[in-house]
Amino acid sequence: MKRTLLTTMLILFVATTMVFATGSRETAPSVKQIRIAEQVPGLITPGVWDGQAFSMNSSIYEYLIEMNAETGALDPCLATSWETVDGSVWTFKLREGVTFHDGSSFTAEDVKFTLERTQDPAVGHLKKADFEVVEKIETPDAHTVVVYLKEARPTFVYQLTDYNMPILSSSYDYASFGESKPMGTGPFRMKQLVPKESALLERYEDYWAPGLPKVDQLAIYFVADIDASISMLESNRVDVVPFVTPVIKRRLDAVDGISVISPYQEQRFISMRVDQKPFDDNRVRLAFKYAMDPQVIARSVAQMDLNDGVFYNETPIMNALAEYKDIPLRGRDVEKAKQLLREAGYPNGLKVELYYASDHPFGRELSQTIKELAMEAGIDIDLKGYTRDIYLSQYWLNVPISLTGWAGRVDPSMLLALAFAGTGPWNESHLNDQVVNELIRKISSQADPAIRTGYYHELQQWFHENGPLINVQVPLLVAISDKIVDYKHPLSQLPQYKYMDIL
Amino acid sequence: MKYFLYQLKKNPLAIVGIAIIVFWLFAAFIGPSMMSFTHTQIDADHQMARPGTNGHLLGTDSLGRDILSRIVYGSRSILTVALLTSIFSTIIGILLGFSAGYFGQKIDALFLRTMDILMAIPPLVLSMVVLGILGDSSILSLTIIVSIAFVPATARVSRGVLLTEKSQEYVMAARIRGESHLYIMFIEILPNTTGPIIVEATARFAYSIMMVASLGFLGVGLQPPTPDWGMMVIENKPIIDQAPWTVLFPALAIASLVIAISIFSDFVSKVLVHER
Amino acid sequence: MNRSAQMMLRRLGSLIATLVVMSFIIFLLVEIMPGDVAQMILGQSATEEAVAALRQARGLDDPLLQRYGRWVKGVLVGDLGESVYMQGVAINSILWRRVGHSLVLAFTAFIMFVPLSIFLGVLAGVKEKKPADSVISFFGLATMALPEFVSGVILITIFAVQLNWFPIVSVIPIGQTLFQNLDILVLPALSITFVMFGYVSRMQRSSMIGVMNSDYIRSAILKGMPRKYVIFRHALKNALLPTITIIGMNMGWLFGGLIVVETLFGFPGMGSLLMTAIKTRDVPLIEACVLLITIIYSLSTMITDILYSYLNPRIRFQGGQR
Repeated sequence: MKRTLLTTMLILFVATTMVFATGSRETAPSVKQIRIAEQVPGLITPGVWDGQAFSMNSSIYEYLIEMNAETGALDPCLATSWETVDGSVWTFKLREGVTFHDGSSFTAEDVKFTLERTQDPAVGHLKKADFEVVEKIETPDAHTVVVYLKEARPTFVYQLTDYNMPILSSSYDYASFGESKPMGTGPFRMKQLVPKESALLERYEDYWAPGLPKVDQLAIYFVADIDASISMLESNRVDVVPFVTPVIKRRLDAVDGISVISPYQEQRFISMRVDQKPFDDNRVRLAFKYAMDPQVIARSVAQMDLNDGVFYNETPIMNALAEYKDIPLRGRDVEKAKQLLREAGYPNGLKVELYYASDHPFGRELSQTIKELAMEAGIDIDLKGYTRDIYLSQYWLNVPISLTGWAGRVDPSMLLALAFAGTGPWNESHLNDQVVNELIRKISSQADPAIRTGYYHELQQWFHENGPLINVQVPLLVAISDKIVDYKHPLSQLPQYKYMDIL
Repeated sequence: MKYFLYQLKKNPLAIVGIAIIVFWLFAAFIGPSMMSFTHTQIDADHQMARPGTNGHLLGTDSLGRDILSRIVYGSRSILTVALLTSIFSTIIGILLGFSAGYFGQKIDALFLRTMDILMAIPPLVLSMVVLGILGDSSILSLTIIVSIAFVPATARVSRGVLLTEKSQEYVMAARIRGESHLYIMFIEILPNTTGPIIVEATARFAYSIMMVASLGFLGVGLQPPTPDWGMMVIENKPIIDQAPWTVLFPALAIASLVIAISIFSDFVSKVLVHER
Repeated sequence: MNRSAQMMLRRLGSLIATLVVMSFIIFLLVEIMPGDVAQMILGQSATEEAVAALRQARGLDDPLLQRYGRWVKGVLVGDLGESVYMQGVAINSILWRRVGHSLVLAFTAFIMFVPLSIFLGVLAGVKEKKPADSVISFFGLATMALPEFVSGVILITIFAVQLNWFPIVSVIPIGQTLFQNLDILVLPALSITFVMFGYVSRMQRSSMIGVMNSDYIRSAILKGMPRKYVIFRHALKNALLPTITIIGMNMGWLFGGLIVVETLFGFPGMGSLLMTAIKTRDVPLIEACVLLITIIYSLSTMITDILYSYLNPRIRFQGGQR
């Protein structure tokens, strides 16, 4: 009896293995489909959207204004035109004939609702602070919105391109359905969502732009492990993998049929706290900066050469921006660093802690490289890495050296006010310098771009000489199959799938 | 002792096992000072270099760090955690298990209840959840949590062993003499139970290594830049086709250590069981 | 029969008691963690206000016991709550699907290693000290020492990357079910199999050696019965018990192995769900996953124990039948 039992099991075992090894069952879809593998999202309702699953949300929702992927200019989307007289009153003309996925019409009411929602305490909107400057909103007719600001903001319109500001329907219950049934005016609608696993989007037939979107479906897989996503790309199970690392770029460079492109850069701020020892002394700050070697950082962190994918400066302005002033790098000088430390009263070097988010791209590599470089100058850095939520909630703003990722903003004044003005809520370095505060104020209220750029240059010079900041710009890398046509991904971080086609 | 050496000669496999263990102990203690690179040193011009390049005997990883140094330095932490864990869990296990077995009745019932509860969660799940929630692990937190996860097993063994001894004559003799409970438990009984307990402790040692490596793989291992063998495997998996040595060598390190300890554990049990 | 029924009821009772205590501990552990759920949800751009507002909206500031009470009530009703993370998405909808997947994976691993280990273990025992034995023993020892992720990586490299027999990533294509994609089960199940094979086959081998040397078997062979027949009939009778013992003893590793393997292969099971939940600090999801794992684990250990006492003649017949 036992013998038959065991023999049966053996046969079962062999049979099962044979059955299983019959190869994957990819049914070739008769519809045009782009398949994407991206990170597992957290919250996806606009307003509290945590910045993952860009492919999905950018296809379901739309904005008043979208950014041109090639030129960086602002293009009309749901708003056909916008104008301001003095920067404190903004008039938007809205597109006609647009409907939401549930059939309701897009009107000025929806824009008003979206903007007012930022201030609703029940939502916990991430952009609340940005839009507190709005005094009131008027809707003279169904396709015109007039926004009155408490003060002149020449660059207000840029705030509407933030990824958490798509236009929502005033008649839809986002509190209850935002996570399970997202609904917007975008080129694709949600067909099927398996939370934390996958999303299937299909073409929205009544989309306002003729001829768009070009493909019929988007199949989005939420994959936690980057290696797994790449394997899927290599074995032709997906066509796009946003956010790959440089090491993977090297791997893919050797593979036919796949390209790695770099639509834009992200910033990594290394900020020193200036209101306490040791970095209250500018000599110590300079010593730290002299210990750094940009080329080694570039190679070590991203396996790229400096200025060929990775950029480095000591200001809050990205190299790619128009406002950037090309101040020559000071270059590594370990002896000078040691000397400065001696002058500042640290003849035997010093010990300091650096905090960072261990699960954020480039965090580990960058912090370890910095530690190695600083060691030679006598600065002994103790690395403290925590997962991002712990890092941000418990350490970020209260530590001697912080390493934080900052998304690039087309209009850097927004970032300056947040991070470097004395009263800024995200002032990592606790900077409160009169010159800086004054310059930031002037930048925010200056309408003439030429004069504004002048202020930016002054600011950058100040940072180079006295600043507590090192700005390492790392590339956002996207791996795509060569079958994809017209991949568009502007600095707003929103990939534009409506324009893409697949062979 | 003579018997031990005699058995050793008859068992070449055990010699290999012991040799490997000694090798790793040596690596952990003296290794780091013998390395030509530190475990964090970045050789920016030789990233993902093949073994043998520029003095890197086992090659380098994507940042340009020497794999050999990282493995040797990492042996320190993994051996420390595993050793401490097996010692702690064994000691606590003895304390709890002996008390339960010796005093019986209510204490035993309480013990069994508590162990049931602790054992209701698989050890890896418990460790993973607690460490994952705490955010980042240190040698201390790893040791404590994995020890807690292992205590039910060691306690059970200790209890079983004590129950076997309890009915022996020498125990009754000690009781009649009027010795205190503690005396009886630890001076009379304990020496007679070293056999099974040592076997269990060595088994725990092997399990600890696997546990720590797995936790590293799951991302709750030691803080960088301290090298964690499990973490090295998962970190370098994406470049396994460009630089297989970055995954292969940490994996071999883990495997060799666990195999060696398993062989040793087997051998010890053979020797000690016979001695009874 | 009455006695065993009684025993089972008692075990069930203690199981439930354990689970109740366990649930509170799990809840406690997860709720008092450092790191702010709301902060995690809102990410880097969050202001203090936004974080506070979210905490209030999701009831994260209520007293501990109140939250526990809410949760327990929910569990009993079968509603594992909404993911704090994803309002409006009931955990149930995500969880049960994944549980099913994990069970299928575990089952697959079982039918792989059980017959294989028994067969090879017995073979090794019968051919003790011969080459076949050395090979099998060493193989068992080696695979036993490889944590699942190591054997998994090796398997991926050989079978998926180089030979392309199986998919590298165990992801289910959108719109399809697991059963349309059974090939994603093979490599993960094999990784688990390796470790279990080592244990079971070694146990089989030693028990087989013991049996082969027993008087009963020796006399049967001396009597002239064909050796093969003797082995199969009498020795295999004793195969089941040690197997179940070993499986029972290593149940914990099996579960841990599932998590590691699912994470490595990207398999959509409970293990990978728990990993995601921990990484995103999704409190209700963590609690639900751990609770479910605990229940299933306790049930399976209980079943193995019962099976063991049923099959072990000494225990079975000790129940006062004499």
